[in-house]
Amino acid sequence: MLPIILLSVFGIVLLFLGFLKTRAVLLPAALLFILIALGAGFLEWNKSYLYFGDMLLINNLAILFSTIVLISAFMVVALSGDFLEDEMAQPAEYYAILLFSIVGAMMMIGYENLIMLFVGVEILSVSMYILTGSDKRNLRSNEAALKYFLMGSFATGFMLFGMALLYGAVGSFTLTDIKSYILLSHGRPSLLLYMGELLVLIGMLFKVSAAPFHFWTPDVYEGAPTLFTAFMSTVVKTAGFAALLQLLSVSFSAIYGFWWVILAAITALTLLAGNLTAVYQNSFKRMMAYSSISHAGYLLIGLAALGQQSRSALVFYSLAYSLATISAFGILLLVAKQHTTDGRPDESYSAFNGLSRNNPLLAFVLAVSMLSLAGIPLTAGFWGKFMLFSAAVDRGMVWILILAVLMSAVGIYYYFRVVIAMYFREGQAGRIRVAPFYQFILIAATALTIILGIVPGLFQNIM
Amino acid sequence: MVQIVFYLFILLTLGSAFGVLLTRNVLYAAFFLLLTLLGVAGLFVLAGADFLAVSQIMIYVGGVLVLIIFGVMLTHTKDAGQTDFTRPNYVLTRHRGWLWALVVAGGIFSVLYSALVRANFVLFGREPFFESTVDTIGRQLMTEFVVPFEIAGVLLLVALIGASTLAASSRPDR
Repeated sequence: MLPIILLSVFGIVLLFLGFLKTRAVLLPAALLFILIALGAGFLEWNKSYLYFGDMLLINNLAILFSTIVLISAFMVVALSGDFLEDEMAQPAEYYAILLFSIVGAMMMIGYENLIMLFVGVEILSVSMYILTGSDKRNLRSNEAALKYFLMGSFATGFMLFGMALLYGAVGSFTLTDIKSYILLSHGRPSLLLYMGELLVLIGMLFKVSAAPFHFWTPDVYEGAPTLFTAFMSTVVKTAGFAALLQLLSVSFSAIYGFWWVILAAITALTLLAGNLTAVYQNSFKRMMAYSSISHAGYLLIGLAALGQQSRSALVFYSLAYSLATISAFGILLLVAKQHTTDGRPDESYSAFNGLSRNNPLLAFVLAVSMLSLAGIPLTAGFWGKFMLFSAAVDRGMVWILILAVLMSAVGIYYYFRVVIAMYFREGQAGRIRVAPFYQFILIAATALTIILGIVPGLFQNIM
Repeated sequence: MVQIVFYLFILLTLGSAFGVLLTRNVLYAAFFLLLTLLGVAGLFVLAGADFLAVSQIMIYVGGVLVLIIFGVMLTHTKDAGQTDFTRPNYVLTRHRGWLWALVVAGGIFSVLYSALVRANFVLFGREPFFESTVDTIGRQLMTEFVVPFEIAGVLLLVALIGASTLAASSRPDR
């Protein structure tokens, strides 16, 4: 609860800092605020609190998910140095929106009442619509923002309708009340409950871009400024899956038989759609968009096979995915700036040709993050996939396991295209100057990916 | 008596909703939308939700619709008058995805219909009671739901900042 209050206040403080003549103070201030929120979150470690008449539930799981969100946000803000150089950018406003959006994400992670979920989703989504359109001179960014806004509002409408139906069936918005209603109904809950659950699921699955609700993702991810694409693909996904996990494991675990089939079908569809379409992309950024859809598919396995292992597997996978994705986008930001076509940064694979020659560090960071996303051993991504797959085995979902393994093999193909471009292709990439702090963030993310890949037990001890 | 009024409002809502779909003139569509929203507000009153009805009229009829009409008037250009007003608008256009649209919409409708018909609502079949809900809503907002109510302020702030930054000029001081 404390981080939520702190971040709301800090956002307003940042807006006032924007009045200062110098912009140099904004970036350190935003980083400091996120760190304070991170520290404040851990004050509640090992205590399980229900806040304000069953509105928020803060337990260790919620703190872990919030930590991932805050780490992602910290890295994204740290990589935003260029942003301050642009004369026309309004960094104070955008940093404030970033902080507010974390408030939304944390509400989605720790909600106990569906109204909190709804307000959280709305804060996060509205912030994302704005950040997507923040590159106002780019027509693609404008299009992406409008598309995201229209479709996102539609999905929110579905979710709200679902919540209304749930309220109609249960007469309460709290997750535990829904649970006890299902348990007391002797296996015959009202049809409204099923409808409501389905509609809420549709709304949430749209937000995490699972197929068949994924069609907005490539255009929006491609159109948004790269920095905010990195934020969107990590924070929204982590918060969305935390919210789904909370909803399904607390409220609807008693009617698992009803929803697991639906989720399993969506998982299979998401894995297929994400991975197979990613193969055909020529733009690295668009490939990352499809890759984020496929990772939503892997994360969905953990929900469809909800069990003892799911929680830690989802947390671990979100962390591994966030670290790898943000460092990949961080490299893309640097590389795309070097090659411009028609005045716009070049985001295709060919921009990476010969990167390793003059920039071995950047090439290594990107290679590690690609390996982690592909799920190669000795990286965090491997253990993330391993934990999710073993959760599926526990539930006896062998067919989904086979599909997932096949699709990760497909994934290796398109992730390695970048690695091949960097190490084996000739290119005229000059030396790219990287700010020391930027470099530090990239190295830290890579190091964490490798450490988690070698000793995953380190993390499981925390859980 | 209430039944007749109820059906009149339903007729108003559905008829004007079809009007929105079928008319080719954007301004007429906006006016038909006004009637639709008024009809829905009437249905809210009959359901005993007076606060909802008033906010429906205030927000949608008063705010959103005026915005739409302003939008129509401000974006109107003289050379854009290519629209053919003589032919009616087709609800189902020759778009490639109309079959899917029909399947999805029909599916959602049939499932919702069967769920709502078979659901046992708490107040179903009871005499409607007409007492003000404003009092209860205000009290609930300030007690049980005070946290979401407060945090909705963050949402509004984000929307406000976003609107002003996106609308701000992106050209250097001109």
